[in-house]
Amino acid sequence: MLKLLQIEYKKLFPYTTFWVIFGLFFVFTPIVFYGAGQIKIDGFPIDFATMYNFPDVWNNITYIGSWFNLLIGMLLVILVCNEFAFKTFRQHVIDGNSKSDFIISKILLMTSFSLISTTYLFLLGLVFGFSTGGGDFLVDIKYLLVYFIQALGYMSVGLIIAVLIRSAALSIITFICSILAESILRLLIPDGIDQYFPMKIISNLTPIPTPKGFMVAEMKNSVLPEIMTLNTTLITAVIYVFVFWGISYFILTKKDIK
Amino acid sequence: MSVVLNINGLSKSYGKVKALNNLSLQINQGEVFGILGPNGSGKTTTLGILLSVLNADSGSFSWNGKEPSKYDRKKIGALLETPNFYPYLSARQNLAIVCKIKAVSESEVDRVLSTVDLLARANSKFKTFSLGMKQRLAIASALLGNPEVLVLDEPTNGLDPQGIAEIRGIILELAAAGKTIIMASHILDEVEKVCTHVAVLKLGNLLTTGPIESVLNNQEQVFIVAENLDLLKLTLSQIDGVSNIVQKETKVSVMLAEGKTSAYLNKALFDKGIVASEIGIQKSDLEANFLELIK
Repeated sequence: MLKLLQIEYKKLFPYTTFWVIFGLFFVFTPIVFYGAGQIKIDGFPIDFATMYNFPDVWNNITYIGSWFNLLIGMLLVILVCNEFAFKTFRQHVIDGNSKSDFIISKILLMTSFSLISTTYLFLLGLVFGFSTGGGDFLVDIKYLLVYFIQALGYMSVGLIIAVLIRSAALSIITFICSILAESILRLLIPDGIDQYFPMKIISNLTPIPTPKGFMVAEMKNSVLPEIMTLNTTLITAVIYVFVFWGISYFILTKKDIK
Repeated sequence: MSVVLNINGLSKSYGKVKALNNLSLQINQGEVFGILGPNGSGKTTTLGILLSVLNADSGSFSWNGKEPSKYDRKKIGALLETPNFYPYLSARQNLAIVCKIKAVSESEVDRVLSTVDLLARANSKFKTFSLGMKQRLAIASALLGNPEVLVLDEPTNGLDPQGIAEIRGIILELAAAGKTIIMASHILDEVEKVCTHVAVLKLGNLLTTGPIESVLNNQEQVFIVAENLDLLKLTLSQIDGVSNIVQKETKVSVMLAEGKTSAYLNKALFDKGIVASEIGIQKSDLEANFLELIK
């Protein structure tokens, strides 16, 4: 297992796209997060700078970071499609890996990506939280776990799309369109069922933060459909992740490698 | 002599096209086994199945008498169709990945790169390589770990004449070292120069298999020129150990039985009063034999 991950990183370290995407994530997440706290709207009763405080910081920073999860999902699409385009998946099987080693490698890779980005957000959250007054940083830290699953979720969607389509350009378009297509499809499906769609579930893992005291009372009494609890969303997302892995495994092991 | 590869009734179809039809073969240790056939005869399909990238519809095969597994493939050096590497990685980085997969020491990399004369370009990216260099890198990759069995699909594809000669040299050296080599080719000349055994495929069917001399009728022919060709033919037919007397334009070619030499023939003719103005040996026309076979 460790050997498979080592091989993955041997391929990655000299790969520019990998550094560009993670570089964007590392540089822009703190900038965007800091910037969001500086917004001031005339007449608006809320000081956005409170978003840096514990425990709100966890919900807030994972929401900002979730946009980069889409980017990391795309990186995974590119990496998997490369293996088909360069025929290196085929060559690895010839050289003595099994087809399931391929899927295991990619699962290990995406897990390591999720760990890297979650750890980074954890450190950022600590920095922002302690520099604006501190407090108990463990409260609501579950948002990080949820963020970790979300990163895995987007990458698992990326994996299955890449395995099905194989061409990088088409796969990325499909990856983006699947979000749009799903939102359109959801309009046609009765409420209640529509919230179980995979992209919806995965994106709901990092809910839009609601600033304290703002609209909360209104929202509770509004006509919005009943919102799933975070725990249900989390469990459903984990199930989706395993299903996507299983289908990808099934497709790859049954088909010839052309 | 132990059996390295046993193929039992392999079949494979792509839709309606039967790419391989009930192929059975046995390859023994130390053989240089050529799989010969025109384009589309099922050579690559066969090797693809043997290397587990294609699934056979029916039939089975075993390496060294065992069910195929990834652990056996790690001990086989293989080149199938195109050289497949990461374009943005250097030759050395690419081979280091193969070393990891095959569980071979990375110190092997320089050895195989120098074998194929690529050591000077070890740190160049794969995408900067010419077709011939890519092919040589793929052969280097197949040599990692000094495997006992090599599977080479058209190994001299895309190489210049010098490169072809070098690769043939490497293959012959490996064969001399007792390695088992399975080589697919549509180039008759290549198979003839390196193989000990051959199987001929056409449209997925095995036409014939065996030692190369017997399959391609690769016996020496003796040709004789004399003043009176009719008398020559008549006389030749009376000499012991002479067969296949054929007149080809101004000369007559014959085949000699084992142990009979052209000197023996010359003396026998002279004793019967015929003076040959020219006598020589040539290999039989392989290409003609081959074309006859796959007709």
